[in-house]
Parts: sequence; C-alpha cells; structure tokens
Amino acid sequence: MATNDKNYFDPKVLAGIANLGLRARWVVEGLMSGVHKSRAKGFSVEFEEHREYSPGDEIRRIDWKALGKFDRYFIKEYEDETNLRAYLLLDASASMNYASDGISKFDYGCTLTASLAYLILKQQDAAGVVTFSNRIESFVPPRAKRDYLLQILHALENRGPAGETNVGKILEDIAGQLRRRGLVILVSDLLDEPEPILKGLRQFRFKGNDVIVFHLLDQAELDLPFDGNILFEDLEAANLQIIADPRAIRATYQTVVQEFIADMRKQCHADSIDYQLISTSTPLDQALASYLSWRG
Amino acid sequence: MSVFFLYPAFLFGLAAASLPIVIHLLNRRRLKRIRFPAVRFILLSQKRISRSYRLRHWLLLALRTLAVICLALLLANPIFQTGAGLFAGGGPVALVVVLDNSLSMKWAGDGNGFKQAKEAARLLISGLNDGDRAALIPTNIDGKEAFRLKGQKEILLKELEAIEIADGTANLSAALSKAYELLQEPAGEKEIRFITDMGLTGWDQFSLASMKRVDPSIALKLIHIGRKQQPLNGSIKEIRLASQGIGVNLPVQIEAAVANFSDSEIKDLLVQLSIDGQNKEQKLVTVPPKGETSVSFQTRIGQPGAHTGQVTLKKENFTGNAVANFTLEAQDKLRVLVVDGDPQTALVQSESFFLIRALNPAGERDTSLFLPTVIVTDGLNAANLDSYQVVALCNVAALPDGFVSKLQNYLRQGGGLLIFLGDKIQPENYNQKLAQVLPASLRDKKTGAEATGEKIDKIDFTHPALQIFADAILQESVKSARVWSYARGAGKALISLANGDPLLLEQKVGAGKVMLITTSADRDWNDLPVKTVYLPLIQALTQYLAGGKRGSLDGGIAVGAAKELSLPPSLVGKNLRVTKPDKRNLDVAIAAEKDRSRATAIATIDENDRAGIYRLALPAGADKDGDVPPFYAVNAPFLESRLDEISPRELQAKLTPIRAQVIPVETLKEGGKRVDLALPLLALLIVTLLVEGWLGQRF
Repeated sequence: MATNDKNYFDPKVLAGIANLGLRARWVVEGLMSGVHKSRAKGFSVEFEEHREYSPGDEIRRIDWKALGKFDRYFIKEYEDETNLRAYLLLDASASMNYASDGISKFDYGCTLTASLAYLILKQQDAAGVVTFSNRIESFVPPRAKRDYLLQILHALENRGPAGETNVGKILEDIAGQLRRRGLVILVSDLLDEPEPILKGLRQFRFKGNDVIVFHLLDQAELDLPFDGNILFEDLEAANLQIIADPRAIRATYQTVVQEFIADMRKQCHADSIDYQLISTSTPLDQALASYLSWRG
Repeated sequence: MSVFFLYPAFLFGLAAASLPIVIHLLNRRRLKRIRFPAVRFILLSQKRISRSYRLRHWLLLALRTLAVICLALLLANPIFQTGAGLFAGGGPVALVVVLDNSLSMKWAGDGNGFKQAKEAARLLISGLNDGDRAALIPTNIDGKEAFRLKGQKEILLKELEAIEIADGTANLSAALSKAYELLQEPAGEKEIRFITDMGLTGWDQFSLASMKRVDPSIALKLIHIGRKQQPLNGSIKEIRLASQGIGVNLPVQIEAAVANFSDSEIKDLLVQLSIDGQNKEQKLVTVPPKGETSVSFQTRIGQPGAHTGQVTLKKENFTGNAVANFTLEAQDKLRVLVVDGDPQTALVQSESFFLIRALNPAGERDTSLFLPTVIVTDGLNAANLDSYQVVALCNVAALPDGFVSKLQNYLRQGGGLLIFLGDKIQPENYNQKLAQVLPASLRDKKTGAEATGEKIDKIDFTHPALQIFADAILQESVKSARVWSYARGAGKALISLANGDPLLLEQKVGAGKVMLITTSADRDWNDLPVKTVYLPLIQALTQYLAGGKRGSLDGGIAVGAAKELSLPPSLVGKNLRVTKPDKRNLDVAIAAEKDRSRATAIATIDENDRAGIYRLALPAGADKDGDVPPFYAVNAPFLESRLDEISPRELQAKLTPIRAQVIPVETLKEGGKRVDLALPLLALLIVTLLVEGWLGQRF
C-alpha cells in the first residue's frame, strides 16, 4: 500500500496517465485516504433534485417521504450554499511548456489545478478555472456542482501552453471581474516582472480574497544542470538568446533564482498571501497539503 | 646569463601549447541549443559574474597553455647558466677558448682589455670539470699551428700565461676554423668561447667562405670586452719622403700622416721624429674628428747609408698605435767629373757652364746631391776615375789613349759616362777609340741655324732615367726645345728628334752605363740648357748613370706581411740571419729566383709578427756594400688602432649560419653557476595542474 500511496503523487507516474480527470482523482483520493474529514461543512438551503440511493450515501439524507410515496430510496440533493468560492488561475504561457525530465510545468500545473478543483468540489465548495497567457484563454466560473469538474477539465485540456506571459495584467483583469470574495489559487512559473505580479495579487487581497500562489518551476530552472557551451533560447521571446557555460555561472544563477524566490516569498507574506514553491519533481501531495493546511 | 637545453628536440612540443586554444575555439564553434524559460536569470547571472568569469576563463586557458609549455620544456631539460660561466653538468664538455690577442685588445676594456680577456679565459679553464677537455687558440695564428683538446687545467693555464698580445690583426677565419676542427671529436657538449673586443678590423677581414671547417650546431659565444668611455683614438697612417731623395747633410723633408678615428678633435698631439734613436724634431698638432693631419719634419742626415727612424705620438689618454717605424737610406754626394772640351775665360761661355749649374745650382757644397769637379782635356790622363760615380765629356775633341783604357775599365766596374758632343768633336776618334762603349757610331755632323732647329719628338717614358717626363710641365718644356746642330748616329734612341735622328742613346758596358747626347751641353747647338727641363733631365741622367741611388725612405711593412729581399745569386743556398725586435734570431734560407730574366737569389721573411726594426745579417762572403739594406721596418697595421666594434647585426650576418651569442665579460666574472631547471619546471607544472583543476572545478 505504501508503494501505491507514493505512486499517487509521483509526477513521473502522473505523466503516464493521459486522462486529467483520472489523474486528479488519483491524486486526491490517494491524498484523502490518509486525511481526516474536513471540519468545514457546507449547509444546504435549496433543494435541487432527488436521486436514487446508492450504498455509501448517508442514511440521514434519505427522503423518507419519497420512500412512502414511491417505495424506493431517494436521496435529497441540495444546491450547496457553500462559504468558499475558489478561483484556480493557471498560467498557460509558452514558458510553462518546459519539461526537463518527463512532465512539463503546464502538465504539472494542470494536474495540480484539476486536483485542487476536484478536492474543492468534493468538499462541496465552488471551484472555477481561468487559464491565461498574456490574455485570458479560458474562464470557467466557480460552481459547487459535483459534475462541474468535467467543465473544468475540459477548460484545462482545451488548449496547450502558448504565448507570452503577462501575469500582472491578467491578475488585475481577473480581480476586476470578481464579484464575490473567495479563494484565489495562482499556479504559475511567475517568469515575469515581480512587481506587476505582486500588484495583481494585492488586488485580490484588497477585495478580501484569500490568495495562494503555487510558484511552479522545473528542477532544471532551479539548478541549471547543463554542461558545455550552450546557446539558450527563450521559450517566449524568440529573439532572446545567450551563449553561456552553465558550469561557470551555475552558482550565481542559483543565487539569482533563490533571491527571486525569496523576494517573492517575502513580498507575498507581507501581503498575507500563501506562497508555495513547487518543483515539477515535487510529489503533488505536498502541493495539495499546502492547500489543505490553509483549509484547516 | 643564458639558458640551453639538453634535449632541444623536445622543444618542438611547444607547438602543442596551442592545443588548449584550439580546443577552446573548437568548443566555441560546437554549441548546444536549449530552449529554456528562465533565460532572464541566465542573463542576470552573466552580468553579475561577467568580469570574474572572464578572468577565470582566461586564467584557465593560460594555465592549460602553461602546463603544456612546462611539459615540453621539462622534456627538453633546460639548464640556466648564471653569468657566462662554464658548464656544471650534463656530460663531458669539449670547449675551445679563442683568445683575441690582436693589438686592439691592448686598448679594449679601458686600457686593460687583454688582461681582462686572460682573466676570463682563466675563469673558463678553471671551471672545467673532470672529464672535460679544452683548447686555447690565440687569434694571431696562420692556421698551420697544431692544437689539441686537453683535460689538464694546469697545462692550459700555462699556455694561457704564455699568450702575449700581438702587434697585428686577428686572423679570425684561421682561429675559428681551427676551433671547429678541434670540436670534430665526439663530446657530450661542444662550445666555442671567443673572448674578444669585437674590433671591426679583424671582422672586416673575416670571411666565412675562407673557413676550412664550420659546424653550425656548435654554439659560438663571444665574450665581449667592452669599454665604458670613448677614448681619443688615432694612429700614424703613413710616413713618406716629401723631398727628392736623401743626401748626406742635405735637407730632408719627412711627412707623417696622423689619423683620428674618434668623434672628437685631438688637440695638442705631440708628434715626434727621431732618427737612429735621437730626437730630431717634434710638433704639436690638432687632428680633426674622423680626419687626418699631415705633419712635416725637416732634418738632415749626417752619415751616408741606412738609418732607422721613428715617429711617435704622445698625449694623455690617447689610444691607438702611437709608434711608426721606418728606415731610410742616405746617399752620399754623387761625384761627377766634368771634362770641359771647350773652356773659356768667361765661365758662362765654357762648354760645361750649364751642366755644372744643373748639377749644383747653388754652387755650394751642401746644397746638392751632386758634387761636380771640372777638368780640361789635358787633365784626363791624371784623373782618378775611381773617385767619381759619373764622368761627363763635354765637347772633348779626342780622347787620349791612356784615358780610354782607364775609362773602359772604369765602366766595366760600374761607372757611368755621359757624352755631350760639340763643334770640337772628332767623330772618327770617338768611333775608333770608344767603339766598344759608344751607343752608336758617330757619323757626320749636322749643323744649321737656330731658327731651323729640330724639335724633340719621341721620348721613351719607360726608361728609368726618363720617368721625370711623367710631369706634364717637363714634357712641355722638352718639346719646346730646338736642336739645330747634332751628330748623326745609328742606334736605338731614348729621345729622338722630329726628323727621327736620335738625341739620346744608351749602351751598357759591364756593370757600367754610357749615355750619348748627340748635341752640345751648352747653348751652341741647342737651347735645352735654358729650358726648365734641363736641370731635372741632367740630374736624372747623372743619377741613373751613378747607379740610380738617390736615397730613399721605406715606411716598412705591416705585421703579418712577408718581406721579400733580392740578394746576389752567389748567396743561394745560404741563410740570411734576421734579428727580430725582441732580439730573437731567425735564419731564413736564400733560394734561387728563376722566374726573372736575371738570375738572382731571394729570401722571404714570413715571421714578421712584431712591430719594430728587423736587422739583417748577410752570410759570410757577401758584399757588404751591395744593394741589400741592413734592416727593414715592420709596423702594426694602421687600422688595428681603430677601436670601432662590429655591430651585433653585422656580426650575425657575417657568421650565419653559425649561431653567435654576445656576452659581456662582466657577466662571466659574476660567476658561472648552472642550474638544472627540470625540478623547478616540474614543480611549476604540478602547481599549474593543481590550480587548473581547482579553478576548473569552480566553473
């Protein structure tokens, strides 16, 4: 079992699973099997529909009146009046298409986003997804319906990563569109100017949203593990090229990257934004655990 | 101070030093392309480390190149020589020390150049190790000497002590050729050290083509004896006789040409003339820079015969040969018996008037080389002809019988007879009595008026007595003369008239000579006596008839040159004893000289290696009064006093393909330590590789 548990979150294993929904379920179910039930419970206010009882449903939710009428067990379904609306923002710019070892940042990000959506929906909270590059590529407003995951997955799978990043502007745009407070989860490599990004995130905070940032980087972006003289071409700006000897600059590069991360983390904390650095080699449970710890 | 390699072939490995650079360039060309999202971080990193990165990069490249160089040098095993000392290891050494002992070394090194050179040679010899061999070759050799490499330092040091400074120029071709010849023998290391002042004169005479043996693989190191200051440098270029002949008690003018080789003027240079060791005259002169001055001395020689002389230069701080030797032959007065066949009360009308004036223009005893005595025809029988070198018959009508035989005897013993004709002459008498001695039998007289005189036309300029006509003025003067009366005679003429009749004829009789002038000695038959040419012509003919002696000055030969002496054939097979200036005697064999028309003997003296007077002693039985001088002068070569040095560029041009290295003598004195650089190079190589490894890791 232990081995299977581990496999749930291994990005390389996940990369072999083509179906994003299955991937998300795999991750979340694997995760939840070891976690106690959430103490956050929604409360029903509006009846939505009846559905036939199936084993495992809570007995207290059986509509006894319907049993009397139809002699069959029905369960009363209510539209949850949840206290959480989660916006999952996934960076789909070209830089997310980088994969040094198996899974790309985008695939990892998709899996993470789907897993989070699944988790949120499963907890009967509302989840919506926005994918963006330098513009909003797809927007799925948050709903708390169980089968809403399919729409979310569809939005995630609909388009691959492309185009340049403009995270700061996009965050500002989305912040302007939010009507109700909720949770904003940003999954991005943040390879853009830090100030506009932070400005956008602060907009969410200003409107009373909680914000979690999953700073997603490939392990190669963190370590620069190359050898020999290399012509580096930028994934987004085609004309940005540089010849470098990674051995010579590795230490400095790592320092620069760590400074960037530390600065981002510090700024986020200053604005009460949860910041989580995630490498594509990091098992997904750690990322989800971060969310769950926020969720309490 | 120098570096040499024990295994120089490994130096080709230095070419591998370019490998790191080539690899670096190839790597630059072979780029890997990677599409990467965080290029901005790479840019930022490069900006940050740009300076230190590049520095480390080039440092790494330099270290790698240095490592290859170190390895190649290590394999070649370099040896560092401090000073210019001798070898300290690396197998047995064969060394030839060539010691410049030319005269210029006397003035090199600010006055003690030769001493310095010997000291340097002593250092080199003392530095020999067991098993090493060396030879010492001075530069004043002619190439015939035998040398060999020796291992005994004591013998070499004794040889060194025996080498003295020579008075001549260095024979560099012979000395270096001999050095290469000696180094043909197998040896671990071979080297030639040439201790020299690099005097230009020696190198001017050097030619690589004249060297019998050259081996460019053997290094030639020149140990240079330089000088710190530029001295006043000059010498005596030439000593010459400025007057006509040297007669006893007659004024003699001797000129000395003094040259200045230095760039500054030589002021108040004392030039001294001495004859037979006695100071005759001295003068102070100024010699312009790089120029020359002629100094003229006037003196008189009291005694006939050979004399030695010397011109000496004296000045403080003067460098260069200051002494020039010469020899001179002073001629005693030439006694001439003038027989006047037509004496007159008024001297001017006498037949001999013009002739006597031509021989002794001033009429005083000590003013002319010629001492004429006039007698009349009656005194002929009583005259002692042996007291005279020349007898001149002037219009003597007929010759007494007793005189004729005396005259013939006189002529056979080498006397001279000059015959002038005139109106008193009886041609038949002359033809009959002097048939054996007359250059031509006299025929009829041709007489005419002055206005119808014949001009002189042809002159045999090659005749020794007529070489005065090389002077254009005299030639013009003789051609302006008119001869209107003369006696016709047949024979080969030395001077002819325009109509072809001879004016001057010659006949040799035994050792004597007879000259016949077909016209008168006075103005009765011609106007020659009033022409410019008359005096030199009469003196030249008289001197010729007296044996050609007039006194002369011989400036001598240069050191190293051969002196050739013509001797009487009776001396063939005997030895001529030569006493050199250092009092050493030398016997020179007298050999027959067959190439010449007249059989003579010849002695060639080659060993003129010292400047000074060489005295000659003829073998017993030789005629002491013959033509052989009792001594001759030998002088240091003039240009040997020039202290200019050959430039390194010219030197290399002259020596190519020999590799020549010039080392100041001071560095030799500083010591001759030799350090094997293999160990320091190995240490450097290890350190280089360690640093390279460490630095490489950091990249």
